[in-house]
Amino acid sequence: MKKVSILVALVVASLFIASFAFADITVTNASGESITFTDEEIGSIVASGEKPFEGVTVTVTVNEGGPKGGISGPLYEWRDAWEQLTGAKLNIVEIPYAEHYPKVMTDLYTGTGQFDAFMIGSDWMGELIAGEYIIPVDDYIKDPRFPKWDPDALPPSIRTLYTWGDKWYGVLNDCDGQVLYYRKDILNNPDYRAQFKEKYGYEYNVPPKTWDELYDISEFFNGWDWNDDGEADSGIVMHLKVGAQGMYHYVSLSAPFCILPGEKVDKYHNVYWFDPEDMTPLINDEGHVKALDFQLKLAKTGPDAQVAWSLGEAWDYFLRGKAIFCFSWGDLGSLAQDEARSKVKGKIGCSILPGCYEVYDRSQGQFVKFDEPVVWGNTTGGSWHGVISVLSKNPEATYHLLAFHATNKISLWNAQRGWTGVDPGVKFHFLPPYGTASLDDYVANGFHPEDAKEYLDAYYENFFATNIVPYLRIPGGNEYWVALDRHLSEAYTGALSAQEALDRVARDWEDITNRYGREEQLTVYQESIGYQPE
Amino acid sequence: MRKNRRAKYFFIFPAIIWVLAFTIFPLIYSLGLSFFRVRLGRPAQFVGLNNFARIFSDYKVGNSLKVTLLYVAITVSIQLILGTLIALLFNQEMRGKNIFRALLILPIFCTPVAVGYLGLTIFYEEGGPINSILMSLFNLKIPWLSSRIWAWVAVLLLDIWQWTPFCFLVILAGLQSLPEEIYDAAYIDSSSEWEIFRKITFPMIQPVIMVVLLLRLIESFKIFDVVYSLTGGGPGTATEVYSLYTYRTGMKFFDLGYASALGYLLLAIVIVIINLLFRQIREVYE
Repeated sequence: MKKVSILVALVVASLFIASFAFADITVTNASGESITFTDEEIGSIVASGEKPFEGVTVTVTVNEGGPKGGISGPLYEWRDAWEQLTGAKLNIVEIPYAEHYPKVMTDLYTGTGQFDAFMIGSDWMGELIAGEYIIPVDDYIKDPRFPKWDPDALPPSIRTLYTWGDKWYGVLNDCDGQVLYYRKDILNNPDYRAQFKEKYGYEYNVPPKTWDELYDISEFFNGWDWNDDGEADSGIVMHLKVGAQGMYHYVSLSAPFCILPGEKVDKYHNVYWFDPEDMTPLINDEGHVKALDFQLKLAKTGPDAQVAWSLGEAWDYFLRGKAIFCFSWGDLGSLAQDEARSKVKGKIGCSILPGCYEVYDRSQGQFVKFDEPVVWGNTTGGSWHGVISVLSKNPEATYHLLAFHATNKISLWNAQRGWTGVDPGVKFHFLPPYGTASLDDYVANGFHPEDAKEYLDAYYENFFATNIVPYLRIPGGNEYWVALDRHLSEAYTGALSAQEALDRVARDWEDITNRYGREEQLTVYQESIGYQPE
Repeated sequence: MRKNRRAKYFFIFPAIIWVLAFTIFPLIYSLGLSFFRVRLGRPAQFVGLNNFARIFSDYKVGNSLKVTLLYVAITVSIQLILGTLIALLFNQEMRGKNIFRALLILPIFCTPVAVGYLGLTIFYEEGGPINSILMSLFNLKIPWLSSRIWAWVAVLLLDIWQWTPFCFLVILAGLQSLPEEIYDAAYIDSSSEWEIFRKITFPMIQPVIMVVLLLRLIESFKIFDVVYSLTGGGPGTATEVYSLYTYRTGMKFFDLGYASALGYLLLAIVIVIINLLFRQIREVYE
């Protein structure tokens, strides 16, 4: 009897100890909201209660935005929670968007090493890999000491941006891609539909299937007061200011005009930027010129001032209900739910960007026709995410921070709030049957249920599309982008024709390639787009 | 006596160090850089005069030089004319002169980058203060930042607003230093204010105007901040001034050798213009 009592006492004591050892861990963010992690989710470094990073300061660079700004906001939001868990300190260094890349590269080139991690745009990756300036994180991902996140949850299109070859360098944060936002309430108005049919001779699809159809709708709605606010409204709005990411619009729009889809990447198929055999720029071929001509025509169905607008101004115009269309990033869908600045909550539809029936085939030197519109998903934008500097003296603490933000629970929390700049893209952000997120959660966080469904389905369709626009990830990437940006802007302002502007881009790109070394660039380019030389 | 000599060197020493460290060294170092293809993180490669030769085949240099020269010519002329006129006005007896003078010189104290960002708000096309007033009065909306010409005008206006007070202040000081007796004598011979200005005031303050002109020319060639923050060189490349192009080449694309060569070209242009001006001044006085 005595033995039994001792045994029972031991079991009870073990269970008591175990209940502490495997207790869930709850963290509270700056907004006062709490999330509970299991030991497995948070990793054994935190679960053990030890604080091995005590006294360590992790310094991270991020685009300037403040405590409630895109991408920078989540770092502030979860800073105290992470510091309490680990004992480390987080130093957030905000740098204006235009200065971020030069500052980071200067730190790396000169070996200064004042930063442990950078929240990078994916187009920096080529330069960072070529210079071996960042470290792979595969070993950390497998290590149960660190917060657990799921690389397999990323769609292949986004995964490509976070990896190089078969190695992971980035830790999950943001998933960028441009989708079409449209005013579902206005486009479904029967009177407007009838008027359109009378004028154009056909009934439009909602959403439009091709860019030509979108143009007709945009032209129809441009210049008159279709929302009864007493002012003339627009068909579309874009942000086209030089130096303010305007060139991304062109890339997303132009893809179906000039990328010939195929089963694999070869000289003529699935390439956008350069000829994968010799690095000749493709930017001024007939497909691109047609695309830019189209964009110039389309821009005329929007406000004139958009030529000088940055993202915020264009978004604001759409959110104030002044335009039928806007194609942009995920931020817009979630910002539309903020009734303090949006008049379009519950009124928007979202879809993958339209396609084209005719695509330029370089092998034939002519446009070829398809039975169905050729549609391209895109990962246009930065997909801003953390990478660890090779110069970091505390790579483990740094990875811990990045992994903490990449956990399913924090990632989902961020993705459900527009101000964080963390856009949805991984499986657990999507609703069933595509993912595991709950519509109720989105609604509880201020989403209109219909908007949330449209928004998430559109992003799923975009990121999991059969065709994905290739991403430019080679050394000097920033310089290529800037050249594209400045000459597109010359076309937007009417200083140059589409052909002239793109010829200038091609000329600048040739200069850049020659300066960086054609052979080196070619090798990195081929690797980055998955081209296998025969 | 020997002690005095030592003291002289003691006081001069910091200035020598300063000039060597912050003027002579960067000048020589950047001259050296201009003969190399330099990309940070990779070994520099000697390319001789290639960077200078590249300037002549770079069409962006031509555009940015044209923009800069036009900008300098327009802003400096208007600043000098306006500055002189306001100085003449403030050289009269008037009530509240001190207060107005203090208010007028306030723009000088603003940071140019801040002025640029302020311009973003003022010239905002959809509901910015200027367009709101124009819309309510004349139903007119000016495309301040989206039109190539108006973006230019916006940059010019901001620069003129900021630096006219400087011209005014220095020229006013010049005017107030002119001896009264000459005017007393002049008024006996003529009662025409214009003639007195043309034949007495202007020639006497001409040296001051020349100094202001020189200072403004040198400063204007270096224009960067306002353009950087207001237009970013756009729309297109309409306001991409030479300094902005050089900055991008060096600090954004890390093409430091070429950026140094570009810097030397600007130095050469400014030296030539300033020397021509000095020659002109010498001819006037000889």
